[in-house]
Amino acid sequence: MRTIAIIKRDLKKFFRNPLIIIVSILMPMIYLIVVGNTVQGELKNLPVVLVDMDRGPYATRVIELVRAIEAGPKTIRVFYMSNPERAIEDVKQGKYAGALIIPEGFSRDVIRSQGAELGLFMDNIDIISANAVHASVLAAVPFLTKEHISVRVDTTRPILKSVELSRKIDYDQSLVPGVVVMAVFMGALSTGVFNLIMDRFLGIHESYLVTPLNKMDIVLGLIVSGLILTTGIAVIVFAASSMLTGIFMFLGLSTYIMIIALIILTSLGLLGLMFILLGRADHPRIVGVFGGFLNVILFFPSGAIYPVASFPGWLQVFAKVNPEAYAVHALRSLMFRGGDIAAIRSDLIFLALFTTAVLTIAIVTFKRRL
Amino acid sequence: MPSVETGNLTKIYGKNRALDNVSFQVEDGEIFGLLGPNGAGKTTLIRILTTILLPTSGSARVAGYDVLSHPSRVRRLIGVVSQAMTSDLDLTARENLNVYGQFFEIPKRERLEKVEYLLDIVGLLEHGNELVASYSGGMRRRLEIARGLIHKPRILFLDEPTIGLDPQSRLVVWDLIRRFIKEDNITLFLTTHYMEEAETICNRIAIIDSGKIVALDSPERLKQEIPGSDVIELRLSGITNGIADSLLAIPGVREVALNGLIAKINLDNGAHLLPAIIDELRKYDVAIEDISMRQLTLEDVFIRYTGKSIRDEEIKKVSYFIGAGVPRRM
Repeated sequence: MRTIAIIKRDLKKFFRNPLIIIVSILMPMIYLIVVGNTVQGELKNLPVVLVDMDRGPYATRVIELVRAIEAGPKTIRVFYMSNPERAIEDVKQGKYAGALIIPEGFSRDVIRSQGAELGLFMDNIDIISANAVHASVLAAVPFLTKEHISVRVDTTRPILKSVELSRKIDYDQSLVPGVVVMAVFMGALSTGVFNLIMDRFLGIHESYLVTPLNKMDIVLGLIVSGLILTTGIAVIVFAASSMLTGIFMFLGLSTYIMIIALIILTSLGLLGLMFILLGRADHPRIVGVFGGFLNVILFFPSGAIYPVASFPGWLQVFAKVNPEAYAVHALRSLMFRGGDIAAIRSDLIFLALFTTAVLTIAIVTFKRRL
Repeated sequence: MPSVETGNLTKIYGKNRALDNVSFQVEDGEIFGLLGPNGAGKTTLIRILTTILLPTSGSARVAGYDVLSHPSRVRRLIGVVSQAMTSDLDLTARENLNVYGQFFEIPKRERLEKVEYLLDIVGLLEHGNELVASYSGGMRRRLEIARGLIHKPRILFLDEPTIGLDPQSRLVVWDLIRRFIKEDNITLFLTTHYMEEAETICNRIAIIDSGKIVALDSPERLKQEIPGSDVIELRLSGITNGIADSLLAIPGVREVALNGLIAKINLDNGAHLLPAIIDELRKYDVAIEDISMRQLTLEDVFIRYTGKSIRDEEIKKVSYFIGAGVPRRM
């Protein structure tokens, strides 16, 4: 009865703050939309300045090819200039992503097969744009003739990245497990222990410390109310984002049940973790500062955006103890590989152990007195 | 069996002894007042007795149970109205009382009846479904008194129940408290700054200063320890040697204190002796520029024991990392 009283109290209070509900649901969704449209997909409209010092037939051919890129994949937008020093200077100042310079005697060298060279100067401060410009120019120039022309590149790290235009939808889908885990994180941060911190901040906690409530009543009451809300938020976010990205079409009922069970387990684990980390805080500002930090260190190394296998060693070690990494991995398996328990067994074991440990520590370390 | 019993209770914060070997007893059914300047240790003492703060040393038993070894037993038998307002702002008055009743596991029917009864008595029945956030300080205080009584406690702790309230609300609060005590035979342990309130309501009063109990007795006896029954205060045009002795020689004058041009005279039956005092002053050719006479009150007792100087209080510790003035402790 005592624990249930706390749960009911928290739920009532939460639903009197609709703003928190809206923010908790919308934030991970907006994240999906923003990340889905910034990090992924082809790069477009990168400004490139072109200087034609040759004015020969092959220079004209290069210009045509570059214009074809401008008109076709639209990776670059071409600007023209006659002064090469000025063009390079502008690239250095970041006005252009790159400068393509056709040197004097270029057509002549092509005709004579004397190793004609084009100069491509790139703003290597912005590596991603530089790589894209490099890749698209390099892809265009071989059409000019065969191997006679080498493109001299003024950057130290010419890494090529293939941009698969047709993967856009898949990329958005692949973000959904991370978005759901982020929703769990947001829920766990704004319910559960947060209510205790607000009570402390407002001086209300003193009133229930003098009642027969024991540690378990208080901690479990707060965590269970947080669990109900966090699960609700995460399920709404999951439903909405899988509808947005079309995942819902290929999942069966048992998979849905397992996804919800996983959300519950993850919520419990994160709520317990928050209780341990923030259980003694007495100011919501601590949650603000610490919450942002926690989100970054738990979310980005979770494999939600980049695969864990690509992390440097020390970060992979961290990912091994990061509950969000297990949750993302398990959700991804469930969503894209179907309800195969074997694929997520180790995730479930870790999350179950983690949750048991944090809940126990949260109850034991809770300070029942002032 | 005493309701409250402490033995050498001591609480040390850093270098500050908030409580210094405090020992006293409060009898069953008694109304016990704890008076003291700010920072004297009143709230610390109440917090230890209500099980939410651990003493550094010493013992305390409340309602027959040790607060250290059996805090949960104690919690079932006490009601607490803290100095700070502690009702939940996001809940209505009705919900506040109901949730609190659930914390004490009062059966539903009984609880709901009790909530309505208490809301009626404290005059909040009409506003019972409004959020506490919309309440005035007086309403909130009344609600908290009702809340402290929902489980029929044997001992009610009131820490400055009327602080910050207007005179009307104060009267209402005291009426309520008197009424509940009569009905349920509750032991009352209260702290207050308002001497006249303490004087009229308390059976016994303890004066605490710098963590030590400096006086403990009934209000009447405490006042008897001060000579005289009245106080006359005079502002004179000048002071001449021998005035004090001459005044003291008048039968019935018990004490004369000179402070600059102010003479404070403790005496029995002031109204009868006033002419004699004026005659005496004429002999010295000293004019009276101002005069006031009043009965001796508890405030005189309080000032006598605790002095006039403002206490050198230890300031609250706030976090400089987080700021916004959240006290680390009150």
